This record gives sequence, C-alpha cells and structure tokens, in this order.
Amino acid sequence: MNFFNVIRWIVWKDLVTELRSRETISSMVFFALIVILIFSFSFSMDQQAAREVIAGIIWVAFAFTGIIGLGKSFSAELQNDCIEALQMVPESKGAIYLGKVAANFLFIFVVEILLFPMFVIFFNLDVVEEISLLLLIFFLATLGLSAVGTLFSALTVQIRAREVMLPILLLPMVVPVMIAAVEATKGALNGDPLPMYSQWLELLAIFDVIFTVVSFWMFEFVMDN
Amino acid sequence: MIIHRVIRKVQRFQGWFGGGAALCIIAGLYIGLIGSPPDYYQGEVVRIMYVHVPLAHTSLFAYIVLSIGSMWYLWKRDPIVDNMCHAVAAIGAIFTTLALATGMIWGKPTWNTWWTWDARLTSYTIMLMILIGYLMLRTFIDDSEKEARYAAVLAILGLVDLPIIHFSVEWWRTLHQPQSISMRGVSISSGILIPLMCMSIGMSLLFSYMLMVRTQLLYLDRLLHAKKGRLMSQFHMSKTDP
Repeated sequence: MNFFNVIRWIVWKDLVTELRSRETISSMVFFALIVILIFSFSFSMDQQAAREVIAGIIWVAFAFTGIIGLGKSFSAELQNDCIEALQMVPESKGAIYLGKVAANFLFIFVVEILLFPMFVIFFNLDVVEEISLLLLIFFLATLGLSAVGTLFSALTVQIRAREVMLPILLLPMVVPVMIAAVEATKGALNGDPLPMYSQWLELLAIFDVIFTVVSFWMFEFVMDN
Repeated sequence: MIIHRVIRKVQRFQGWFGGGAALCIIAGLYIGLIGSPPDYYQGEVVRIMYVHVPLAHTSLFAYIVLSIGSMWYLWKRDPIVDNMCHAVAAIGAIFTTLALATGMIWGKPTWNTWWTWDARLTSYTIMLMILIGYLMLRTFIDDSEKEARYAAVLAILGLVDLPIIHFSVEWWRTLHQPQSISMRGVSISSGILIPLMCMSIGMSLLFSYMLMVRTQLLYLDRLLHAKKGRLMSQFHMSKTDP
C-alpha cells in the first residue's frame, strides 16, 4: 500500500461505516437543530437583532456539532482495538492523518450543508447572492476545524476523560478560525463588498495550511506507541 | 544527555537565584511603593505596574521555555526536560493568572472597568486557557512517557497558534472599535524605570528559582516511583519463591 492508497482506504472505510450505521451524521444534525432551537429562545429575534448575532449562532452551532463528529472519529476505532491496527499500517502515520482529516471534513461539511437551509428558514436570511462565497467560507473554516480537531481527537481518545478534554483542548486552539469565520459570514450575510472582509478568508487559508502541515508532522508522535 | 548535565549543574546554584530574587524584589518593592513619586497621570495607581509588568513579561518567558523544552523533548526524549516542561507550565499558569488579576485591579480605577475585550487581554486569556488545558491533559494520562509526548505535542501546537491568535484578535478588535485606551505617548521616567527594572530582574530570578525547585521535585518524584515499582516487584518475586 502506498501513501495515497492508505488515505483512500481510510476515507472509504469511514464513509462505508457511516453509510451503514448513519450514527455520526444523524446525531450531529439532530444536536445542531437543538442548538438552533435553544439559541432562538435565548435571544428575542427580530429581523434587526438576527442580523447582528446570526453569524455567531451559526458558528457556535457548527463548532459544537463538529466536536461531536470529531470525537466519534477516533473513539469508533477503539472497538475491537482497531486503533492498534491503524498504528501498524506499514506507511507513514501522516497518511492516516490525512485520510481521517478528509473523512471528518466531509462529515462536518455535509452536516453544515444540511443545516444551513434551517438557518435560512428559521432566521429569514437572504442568501441567494452570496451563496458561493458562504460555501467558500464554510469550506475553509471546516478544513481548519478538522485539521486541528483530527489531531486532538487522536490524542484525547487514548486518555481518560476524553469527552471532556477534546473541547477543552480544541476550542482555544481554533479561536482564530472562529473569529475569522464569524466575521466573514457576517460580512457575506450583510452583503458587504468582498474587500471589506477578504482578509478573514486569507487568515482562514493561512491557518488551514499551517495547521495541516504542523498536525501532519505531530501526528507521528501521537500515534507512535 | 548534555542538557541533563547542564540542568544538574545549574541546579547547584539555585540558592543564589532564590537569594537574588528576594533581594531584588524587596529592593524593587521598597523603591516602587515608598521611594518613588506617584505618577503624574495615574497617581498612586501606577505602583501596581511594578508587580504587573514583571509578572506579564515573565509569564511570556515561561511559554518560550515551555515550547523550546517541548521541542527538545520530542527530539531527544530526555525525561528531565519533560519534568522541566511540566514545572514551567504550572509556574507559567500561576504567573499568568496573577498578571491578569493585577491588571484587572489596575484597570478598575484607570479604565473604570475590571475587564475589556482588548486585543492583548483577550489573547493573553486564551494563552492561559491553553496552559490550563495542558496541565489538565497531563493529569489524565497514566503512562509517564505518553504523558510527556502528548503534552509536548500540545505545547508545540499552542506555540504555532499563539501568533495567529494574537493577530486575529488584534484585527477583530481594531475593526470593531478604535483603540480607546493606550499607554502610548507616556514615556517612562527614570523614577519609574529603576524600580521596574529591579522588579523585572527579581521576578525572572524568582521564576528561575521556582522552576529549578519544581523540576527537581518532579525529577525526584519520578525516581521515587521507579524505585517503588522495582521494590514492589522484588517483593512479589520473593513471595512467590518457594
């Protein structure tokens, strides 16, 4: 098996498991719906107030949902000691990392695509013109979230109290992603001209590149048992 | 193992560091609290700066030591470097918390608020969160080699993240509101500079002293555990002997 085959097999394995059980995506979507519901109770939402806070609500919901998916990514490997089989793959551990990042990215991105229409309906958003830009923002931010999140998922799965430690470690690290995603989404939803918030897109892209490289390298140390 | 020998050698002078720290801090506090005049703009409030600024500088220094130590550990896998990282993270967390607390006490009379989401405050708080997460992570792992490795990975990721966090928070604040409060334009007179320097040197010495003592403590603790494990297994062996 060469490097790219390992990546492909990992993605394929995760997708097949998900298609057969439908555990991760359904729980993520349902959880996010509840988060949206709670938010709509917590703020009294008229049209003006919604414009102010909706970007924040979207990203809080996406981040929490993402953490559920990321946590499941490696805890599923604990059954039947699959994680030890992964550690024995005769190829660089980075291949496993990239495969897992791709799978996690797909799950979270699909969930975001499913959820976004809910936000549009519940909060009366007007998104027809900026939909491609919003998709680009979702793409970049989700990539950043899963690049760091996959590493921490692999790291926390092998310790005690893993459900608690994943968000505690992950959320401070992805503060730049959250800030940039919220600001860019806010700009796009308000219909601001692109140069006003393009710097946030650049920040997201830089974060993605840096953290994919660093996590790829660090993953060796996490899986090395 | 060269770093091992260096650490052991420096440890011998820890008394000098402790004594120097005590001297500098006492002298700095005396000049700062009693000897120096109150500030023209801030009045008596400025005196808390003699504690706050050295604490803040030293805690940043702690993070630098932590990240260099973590890289060194992943490279050489020397356990005493890991003990040092563990020690420096705990001390850094304390210094960061104290710096935030003194900053808030200074902020209340000066800015008329305990807290503001200023860029520096926010990124400093996130740094504290990462440090606390680091310390929590260490308590949840039983195997000491694994604990050291995971902690080092987390520290290095945090090191890479800190400048990005700082810039993103800075952009975020400056886009929302102009910097309402700044210390710029207030030049430092020698009456303030001397106690400040004194306290800075004192705090750095105190930090080094605490680091040495705690590293040694963790090192001895690890030796003790190893010895205990050996004795226990010998004991079991002797019992199973006929």
